[in-house]
Amino acid sequence: MPKPPSRRDEGPASGLSRRTFLKTAGVGAAATSLVGVGGRAEGATVLGPGPVPLSLKVNGAARTVTVEPRVTLLDALRDHLDLTGAKPVCDRGGCGACTVLVDGDPVCSCLMLAADAEGQEITTVEGLGTPERMSPLQAAFVECDALQCGFCTPGFIVAGTALLARNPDPTLDQIKDGLAGNLCRCGTYGRVFEAVQKTAKARAPRGKARRG
Amino acid sequence: MAQEKAPKPQEATVTYTVKAGHASAPTTLEVHAAEGDLKPWDLDSWPKFRQVGKRHPRLDGPLKVTGRARYTYDVKLPGMLHGRMVGASVPAGEIVTIDTSKAEALPGVKAVWASDSRTVRFAGQDVAAVAAVSPEIAADAARLIEVTYDERPFVPELRKAMDVDAPLVYDPDKMPASKDLPRKGNIVGPMTGRRGGGRGDVEKGLQEADVTVESTYSLPVHTHSPLEVHGVVAQWEGDQLTVYASTQGVFAVREGLAEALGIDRKSVRVICEHMGGAFGSKLGPSASGTQFAVVACKLAKMTGAPVKLMLDRKQEHLCTGNGPSALVTVRIGAKRDGTFTAIHYRSFGSAGIATGAGTAGPANALYQNTPNFKAEDHDVFTNAGPGAPLRAPGHSQGAFALESAVDELAEKLGIDPLELRKKNESSPVRAIQYDIGAKAIAWERRNKKPGEAPGPKKRGIGMANGNWYVIARGSGVGAQIKVHRDGSVELISGAQDIGVGFRTAMAVVAAEELGLKPSDITVRVGDTQFPEGPGSGGSNTTNSVAPVVRLAAHQARTKLFDLAAPMLGAKPEELDAADGRIFVAANPRKAVGVKQAAAKMPGEVIDCVADRKKQYETYRGDIAGTQFAEVEVDNETGEVRVIKMVSVNDCGFPMNALTAESQAIGAMIQGASWALLENRILDRNMGTMVNPNLEWYKILSPADMFEAVSILTPIANAGNNTSAAGLGEPPIVPALGAIANAVFNATGARVRELPITPDRVLQALSEARRRGDRVAQRSETRDDPVSTTRRASVAPRRGV
Repeated sequence: MPKPPSRRDEGPASGLSRRTFLKTAGVGAAATSLVGVGGRAEGATVLGPGPVPLSLKVNGAARTVTVEPRVTLLDALRDHLDLTGAKPVCDRGGCGACTVLVDGDPVCSCLMLAADAEGQEITTVEGLGTPERMSPLQAAFVECDALQCGFCTPGFIVAGTALLARNPDPTLDQIKDGLAGNLCRCGTYGRVFEAVQKTAKARAPRGKARRG
Repeated sequence: MAQEKAPKPQEATVTYTVKAGHASAPTTLEVHAAEGDLKPWDLDSWPKFRQVGKRHPRLDGPLKVTGRARYTYDVKLPGMLHGRMVGASVPAGEIVTIDTSKAEALPGVKAVWASDSRTVRFAGQDVAAVAAVSPEIAADAARLIEVTYDERPFVPELRKAMDVDAPLVYDPDKMPASKDLPRKGNIVGPMTGRRGGGRGDVEKGLQEADVTVESTYSLPVHTHSPLEVHGVVAQWEGDQLTVYASTQGVFAVREGLAEALGIDRKSVRVICEHMGGAFGSKLGPSASGTQFAVVACKLAKMTGAPVKLMLDRKQEHLCTGNGPSALVTVRIGAKRDGTFTAIHYRSFGSAGIATGAGTAGPANALYQNTPNFKAEDHDVFTNAGPGAPLRAPGHSQGAFALESAVDELAEKLGIDPLELRKKNESSPVRAIQYDIGAKAIAWERRNKKPGEAPGPKKRGIGMANGNWYVIARGSGVGAQIKVHRDGSVELISGAQDIGVGFRTAMAVVAAEELGLKPSDITVRVGDTQFPEGPGSGGSNTTNSVAPVVRLAAHQARTKLFDLAAPMLGAKPEELDAADGRIFVAANPRKAVGVKQAAAKMPGEVIDCVADRKKQYETYRGDIAGTQFAEVEVDNETGEVRVIKMVSVNDCGFPMNALTAESQAIGAMIQGASWALLENRILDRNMGTMVNPNLEWYKILSPADMFEAVSILTPIANAGNNTSAAGLGEPPIVPALGAIANAVFNATGARVRELPITPDRVLQALSEARRRGDRVAQRSETRDDPVSTTRRASVAPRRGV
């Protein structure tokens, strides 16, 4: 399976975004559309049009879902695996509220088909901590009040986790850049930056030089 | 003998003397409180608080940051179907046919609903709906519904709709506007009353002025764009209806659905545990431009299964409300020393097919010492979705226009805009706020001559004022405190937490009374089976519910003191509570734990329920705020970046300083988004929205973020026993004007139309240059009238 387009990639290599064919695919058209995307026509498995079983690895556990091939990873997680942490907001990769980690990379799960996520490690916000045992970034969000209505918060947590994994001691500009794909309507950005900085500071070994 | 009206029963009251206002200017106030209510917390209470006014992380934070908080969009019930609305694709006309046969024939579709209403007045209006076994099939079915229209002429733009020969959105007899108001074409008004009317004679006042300004400002429609779209999950069990709703008012949803469905409100239960944003668009049972919640209940009834119906992002933009556009002309005059002689405020705006576009609130409330004042608001109908209250409805628009004009007047008078505002200030609270804000932004750094900073990236600082009102529900609000034998405490209120930190603020109030920490208290909110609470509109939730939470908690405290007194060998009135202990006030070492005292209770629970009797006359009926902004404008690209904003705002006593600050900071960010980016664009040829998503309807992103500072000025307003007032709306009111005035200070070019996009900045710069040329031309012609033309062509460029 080819790697899905990460939020950090320039764009889909095929030139045809998954969203484009998702939107153009009508009833029963999903199977034909799948063929030919990402240069997979040769020997590609044709799925659907009806529900097909998929094996997903989510938060470290093997899960099976039976969904139509056109179902996005976001909808598979939310509607079929009861993982409602990732939120549907803009439905087109414009807001980051549905961000999950796919093999460690932040991905808009509304832009990725569940079928394309087979064989990869999916981590959702639920996999990063629990209310009783929050990750350091989650705890910093609460402490800094980096949330209001909270609907964008899971996306920021996942994107922020990915940012800190890539760059353990980011500058403010690097934080803004790393979170630029996430929107918040209540206006929590400043406190989100504080929470990321606080987490980085708590983690960084003493005397370590600031990177980049 | 003439029959006399029965005298109104005298309300039992108790009079308290409180120290009200701001600590720097205290004043004594007599409060006539309802019998049984407590003395309002006042300036003497403020330094003694152990919990109130401190910084408390929100109690639902851990649930929200780990994805465990359950929003309406996350609700999943056994056998649940998925509903989907279908909206009109044309902006005006009559529906001729709705063919649902293909949708009904699609396997997996369980029910189809079609609207009875035939007249379409905006693109996106409800036409039909489906319920199916999966969201994917529901989407397919929605696409299979075929509608034919007899299309009519339409007008989506405010200015076009004001033309005498514009197509009429409504037949004159069908206009949803008061019959008493004048009307002409699509225009209704001028409106008078709370947001209109006036005093003195503005024409006379303008004649008496040494300097006058007349300018016209405009703002587009903003959509609320909450991240969680509108939606419900409706479930019938026999005649009992349970609705999970993404709403600002669970009780309003209950009343509205009961009425629409013709059932008793007692058979309806509405639940909203967590809510993903609303900003005024989720106050009713459905939304301003759709009946989706009623439709969901009908689909659930038709199918005998629970139905989840969430709108999509496009529908959210089209039919769930929006903040009306505005086109405002301000005429303002002053004496040479800056004393205002007259303000004439004239506004036209469009809330689409609805009314409610008035923006004269700030003009009415600010600078009340101005002897001559007149405000005229007009509603203009357009073929667009109906407006809805949007975070301080009409006030951010009105303050942008008024405060831009005040800034222009300051420039013309050659007076510092801060000094001009101080001179004409009528609020003692804002008078205190000015210097606090000026210090925080370092006002002295501003360009004494606008645009004088070296380019191409020019910095500037501006300011603007804002106002809001102390709005509270005085009765019909309850709260319950339960202390269990194990010492655990529950706080129960039916009102919903829309993301402002309501549940945490209420826990702070109860904790203050009970000597506990907010985190010791389990808070349950957002359910019509709980004691009634207000809808969260007008910044009224905290100040309506906090006083009754305090009252219920105080009752529980009294009962705990009765239990503790014999344990301590003291009288109950000699006791106090703090840090989880009940102790003798005169000898704090004599103490028992709250848990130990609770263990002595005769039953299993101390259950205290309190009801609100009335709202008291406050120290001030308004909520004052002022804001400062620093921007950087690239005069080659026209790009504007906000560098820093400072909000100084009153909210009575903040219950939780941390979340209160977040509210004010969030308001500045949303305000900056309105000022610089947001614009609902309707295609003038098609009447449909061009940018119904979140990448072309731009909202501020992390990359655009600036330093945002919130300073709260605690005011003992004594309107209720906690002195809490609202904060959700007030701090957005000044934001737009502060940014626009900062852009002027940076560039010397005035942008009078929002959003302040690069093209508008460049246009304003070019106009300023031309004006600069003309000024230069005039000054030179005085000496040499014959060579005007030749000299003008080589006149030095002024400004930037």
